[in-house]
Amino acid sequence: MSNYYNMPKLPTENSPKVEIFVDDKPVMVPGDTNLLEALKAVGIETPHVCYHPYLPVSGNCRQCLVEQEGPRGRMLVIACYTPVSPGMKIYTPASSARVKNARKATQEFMLVNHPLDCPICDKAGECTLQENYMEADQNESRMRPEYGKNYHGNPAHQFIDAKGQLRGGKHVDLGPRVLLDEERCVQCDRCVRFMRSIAGSEQLQLAGRADHTYITTFPGEKLDHEYDLCVTDVCPVGAMTAKYFRFQKRVWLLSHTPTVSMDDSLGANIWLDYADGHIYRVMPRCNPVVNRSWLSNTSRLAFQEFDKNRLPSMEVHTPAFGNGKIAIVAGGTCTLEDLAAIRMLKEKLGDRAEIFGGSLLKVGEPDGIAKSGDPVANRAGMKLLGFADVADFMKRASEFETLVTVNADLFGEDPAAAGVLEKINCRVAITPFDDATAKKATIAMGVRHWSEVQGTMVNSLNMLQKLNACPVCPDENLWAAYQVVSYMAGSKFEAAADAFKKAGEYAPVLAGLTYDAIKSTGKLLEGGEA
Amino acid sequence: MRVIKQKPMTLGERLYIFEALRGLFTTLKHAARGLFRYEELPTISYPEGQPEVRNTYRAKHRLMLRPDGTPRCVACGMCAAACPAHCIFIEATASDDPRIEKKVKRFDIDHLTCVFCGLCAEACPVDALRMDTKKISFEHRSREEFVAHLEDLTNWDPKDYPDDEQSQVAPGGTKNAEALKVWGMEVK
Repeated sequence: MSNYYNMPKLPTENSPKVEIFVDDKPVMVPGDTNLLEALKAVGIETPHVCYHPYLPVSGNCRQCLVEQEGPRGRMLVIACYTPVSPGMKIYTPASSARVKNARKATQEFMLVNHPLDCPICDKAGECTLQENYMEADQNESRMRPEYGKNYHGNPAHQFIDAKGQLRGGKHVDLGPRVLLDEERCVQCDRCVRFMRSIAGSEQLQLAGRADHTYITTFPGEKLDHEYDLCVTDVCPVGAMTAKYFRFQKRVWLLSHTPTVSMDDSLGANIWLDYADGHIYRVMPRCNPVVNRSWLSNTSRLAFQEFDKNRLPSMEVHTPAFGNGKIAIVAGGTCTLEDLAAIRMLKEKLGDRAEIFGGSLLKVGEPDGIAKSGDPVANRAGMKLLGFADVADFMKRASEFETLVTVNADLFGEDPAAAGVLEKINCRVAITPFDDATAKKATIAMGVRHWSEVQGTMVNSLNMLQKLNACPVCPDENLWAAYQVVSYMAGSKFEAAADAFKKAGEYAPVLAGLTYDAIKSTGKLLEGGEA
Repeated sequence: MRVIKQKPMTLGERLYIFEALRGLFTTLKHAARGLFRYEELPTISYPEGQPEVRNTYRAKHRLMLRPDGTPRCVACGMCAAACPAHCIFIEATASDDPRIEKKVKRFDIDHLTCVFCGLCAEACPVDALRMDTKKISFEHRSREEFVAHLEDLTNWDPKDYPDDEQSQVAPGGTKNAEALKVWGMEVK
């Protein structure tokens, strides 16, 4: 443990247990991690501002102080940067007044120059400073009002406000998606560390020294990166705000649905934050194996299109499938439930039906953060349920007389390649959106979007992950895709669980599983990582 | 416990007829006073005569204005959070004034749902919302009209608040048409 760039070691299930003494009581904690995580593992929360489990430890906020018994007596150390060693003696505020006072003083110092913006701050309600303040006994400020707030950030952005006070830059334009409020910044440098170590593009810097430090980009440069909105997540205060969510909703009015982003085969775990029937933002949901706590801008901003250009609900009826060969193409956002229903339809139609899955979009490279680059989210699930690749279908498209697309916008993805499909007489499109395929279809049927259905998907790491339905469907009468397809097959699935059970019949690895058996962070399927 | 014994009725009371006449006389006395000496009545005849309301009475809301005529409200939503009846609806947007962060785009109070508890005025961190208009009667033709909008809440006259200095500084009402135009509100 020596330098600034160390990533914290997080405890795992296999961590060796060591005995340490917390407040003179022996406890067993994970031995290969830092003190903060070790205490967390036994239920002792330590307030912290600059520490983030997936960022290198910087140790500049000094909020996580604990006392450690050492050769020179009891010393204050920061819990985030102290490795656990067997037999160490730790004192928390529960027994040590010195720790309590030290944390209180740190808290007070941090709040001395922090503006009282909470009523208009977008972070209010999920702000680390607010949480620490509540934790540290809600002490009254000892600042005299005439002294005011003395931190004003970058001198170039200072201004005199309506009351005649000198203020720091309140909305500094950092880039196309992020605004910076220099007054609110507490210089924890989480955003700097994120851009440096995770995003791998050092676009943010701390400039100036001591209490003149401020966050800035290089002169003439802008903060512009596929992951730049993550800096608004890691910011413990409201200094970094996302332009798309600025002033949209107070965060305590949002409800959260845990689900999985279906635009990439890594299946980044997300929260859909919704209120009064609309999704307001998408936040990454921490999953140590999949996306940690990062989310790409593409996945994060995709929600803005979820309720636009939708097909309305209509009476579902079974099309006459004719006598020729039938191709059923499942798109990348199909859940396992949809795939099971498609498989059931295929079995009802017999040998003349064939099932394909995938998209015409190009498969990219994994970026190592929260994207695998494959736009077909459920590709592993398609493999499990015996779907052929859609490229196969494109080669033999002329054989078929009927084409059923489920959540697959073939015409929109590659209009040139999809031209051959126009020779197919009967085209049925089952899709949430009024997209190019729906426009060219003989029959188009509206279904629920993946954010509005319960379901499961298998990601590129062979992990079974659960999607939950966010109650934001624009039309309550819309059916889920698995319901429409299973209705066509003759026996409609009323609940997603029935369809999942059916999927278990087709894929033995899913047999016997229930939704309750899948943890919120997913379940690694037998056979290990794909 | 105190037991109050009722006095037994006297013979005159028990005969009933005299007491009935006495009661009738009281009624007639007040009726006659209403006819001939109306101003001495202890009650007010409500629609014509208005009750005296103090400015501490929790009446209809108003939104205070800055000296430039823009609402003081910063759309923080504290009033809506405090409201037990959930009758306040706020939408925020970024302010055009670079010195001010956030401004209110929509501020609706549904006075059919409002319970006039005053918690909203209490919660306001910038003293933008007050309930001192002394307007206690609400009569409208449709339910929608009971919802007070931003224009309605800021449309007050400083003359009605002679004792309040802050109301005098603000232009109030539709007087500062220029400022309201900057704010993007219709000026009648």
